[in-house]
Amino acid sequence: MSRKAPLGADLVIPLLALGFASYFFWSITDLAWEAKANGVVIGTALIALVVVQVARIALEVAQGRGDLRTDPLWQPRDVLLKRIGMVAVTVAFILLLQVLGLTLSLFASMAVALWLMDVRRPSLIFGISFGVAAAAYLLFIAVLDAGFPHGFIEKIFS
Amino acid sequence: MSWEFIAGQFAAQFALWWIIWLGILLGIVVGILPGFSPQNTLIMLLPLTLGIPVEQAFAFMVSLYCANHLAGGVPAILIKIPGSGGAAATTLDGYPMTQKGQAQQAIVLSFTASVFGGLITTLATLALLPWLSQIGLYLRSVEMVVVMLFGITLIAVIAAKDTLKGLIAGLFGLLIGVIGTDHIYNAPRATFGFLELYDGVPLVAALIGLFAVSEALVMLEEKLIVSSEGRERAMRASWADTLDGLRLTVVHWWHIVWTSFVGLFIGIVPGAGASIAAFVAYQQSRMWSKHPELYGTGVPEGVIAPEAANNGVTSGTLVPMMALGVPGGTTSAVMMIVLQYHGMVMGPRLFSTNPELAYGVFVAMAVAYIFMIFTILPLARYMARIVLIETTYLAPIIILVTVVAAFVERQYLFDMGLALVFGVIGYIAHKTNYHVTAMLIGIILGPLFEQYLARALRISQGDLTILFSSTLGNVLWGFLVLSLVLPLLRGYRQARRHTVV
Repeated sequence: MSRKAPLGADLVIPLLALGFASYFFWSITDLAWEAKANGVVIGTALIALVVVQVARIALEVAQGRGDLRTDPLWQPRDVLLKRIGMVAVTVAFILLLQVLGLTLSLFASMAVALWLMDVRRPSLIFGISFGVAAAAYLLFIAVLDAGFPHGFIEKIFS
Repeated sequence: MSWEFIAGQFAAQFALWWIIWLGILLGIVVGILPGFSPQNTLIMLLPLTLGIPVEQAFAFMVSLYCANHLAGGVPAILIKIPGSGGAAATTLDGYPMTQKGQAQQAIVLSFTASVFGGLITTLATLALLPWLSQIGLYLRSVEMVVVMLFGITLIAVIAAKDTLKGLIAGLFGLLIGVIGTDHIYNAPRATFGFLELYDGVPLVAALIGLFAVSEALVMLEEKLIVSSEGRERAMRASWADTLDGLRLTVVHWWHIVWTSFVGLFIGIVPGAGASIAAFVAYQQSRMWSKHPELYGTGVPEGVIAPEAANNGVTSGTLVPMMALGVPGGTTSAVMMIVLQYHGMVMGPRLFSTNPELAYGVFVAMAVAYIFMIFTILPLARYMARIVLIETTYLAPIIILVTVVAAFVERQYLFDMGLALVFGVIGYIAHKTNYHVTAMLIGIILGPLFEQYLARALRISQGDLTILFSSTLGNVLWGFLVLSLVLPLLRGYRQARRHTVV
């Protein structure tokens, strides 16, 4: 097992920031100075700090105190699948929302998410999913009429 | 305005107890949910408020508004998910208190700071309304640039543990805050081609992603969100903890008073809101503290300052609307619509033509705060139990329900996806110690700072010396420099004393 610090993970946010700052500068090339002054000042300072951070990490790697592993992002391994699964369920929920409406899609997504979290008792999965979906229906649809897409359930109760 | 008149107003508002309670209950429910601001709730409830007598409508709206500000601190303390931008600073010390097993004390502190902060500033507003309404006229874009800088310097404070990472996170947030059209030419900047980003990054989606989704993804690593010692304390939680929270309130009474006035003054300025007030109050509280190094580890003052300030804002935002006819923010704009629908004309004349309504609004606010303390304080003990729910159940509920809430602000499915994107960014930031609060401060204050700066520079035709052209502005610059230099001097003195000893 490597005793070097996994510094690759520390580079992800700076690289995202650098990518975004570059895109920002590209997007404002043709604008008047009033529209870009603030962004230019912030973006330049951000790039300068990212360069310092990258240099700091490069120095530590060169001196053998760290390497470019990204372990902190993936560990602990036994939770990784749950995390990825949770993100996938949320994406599916957003897509399903337009088809099934809020109540049904939330019920289904909650049930799948609980199963992903290793909850295996059907009564618990059904009870929690039903409770959350019913509460969401009451607050967002019945009381506040918050403009969510309507599906089968919403049409029945409307 | 006589004492009899004020007493009569209090009696009239107490008679509306049923609608005030209804507003409080709804305000607490929607305040706890991230994504529900008082303004979008009030917009959705316009058919109700337009349909009932104006006194009842106003009592209801004001109660909902105040309760919403109070409740935002609850999820910030218990699960590190602020119910609103105004409660984001509460997470800094509220959540560490929860992790130490002091969730109940933190919630009680949040309630008492909110209620007494709100009550004190409401009574002060009632007494000083004619003078307070003038403040908004003196605080123009030049002065507001300095006020914004007070909030932005909090990034440097948060970055104290790892300056480079903190500053990168803060500046990344500030640059994200610049997304959208500019304030002068409406030219789009860095919108990735999405029309939904032309108005800028929706704050609610950023808040939900950076705090709720990312925190839920991280919490899966543990069975509970509290340590085993914290769990023991939470299980043994009793009324004694509520009393301990009240004791801390009494000990820190002066802190509640002065931080609530920070909120009041910032609230009076049209456009400034609870978020900036809470960040500035937290920054000032830390700057003037005798033990600034303990902030962020779970100190009572770190909960009191943002909560008292964001409730101090509530009466402040109504001042320009009632006294000048200029809404101080979206919430007061909605309230103004209701008043105008009922034939009321806002502005100085309202106080002579309809004093019952003009002063009644602030009396309703005071009554709402009095009701709130009795309604919500006994619930602290039971709310604190949420930390005993296993993350297996908590994480999916947090992620899916808060992503639903991301939709509510603008009713775009796009915002739900954006919340998820911010969630992933927030998760990476969490795992690599880039402070998400610093990022959020940037996203909240970036657009406001740019707006005031652009306005000031437009007036001066690009001459930066305008920033030092007003007396009040220069006084504020002085305070800003002082509040940055004093802690450094204090640290230097302490270091020297240690060396001598």
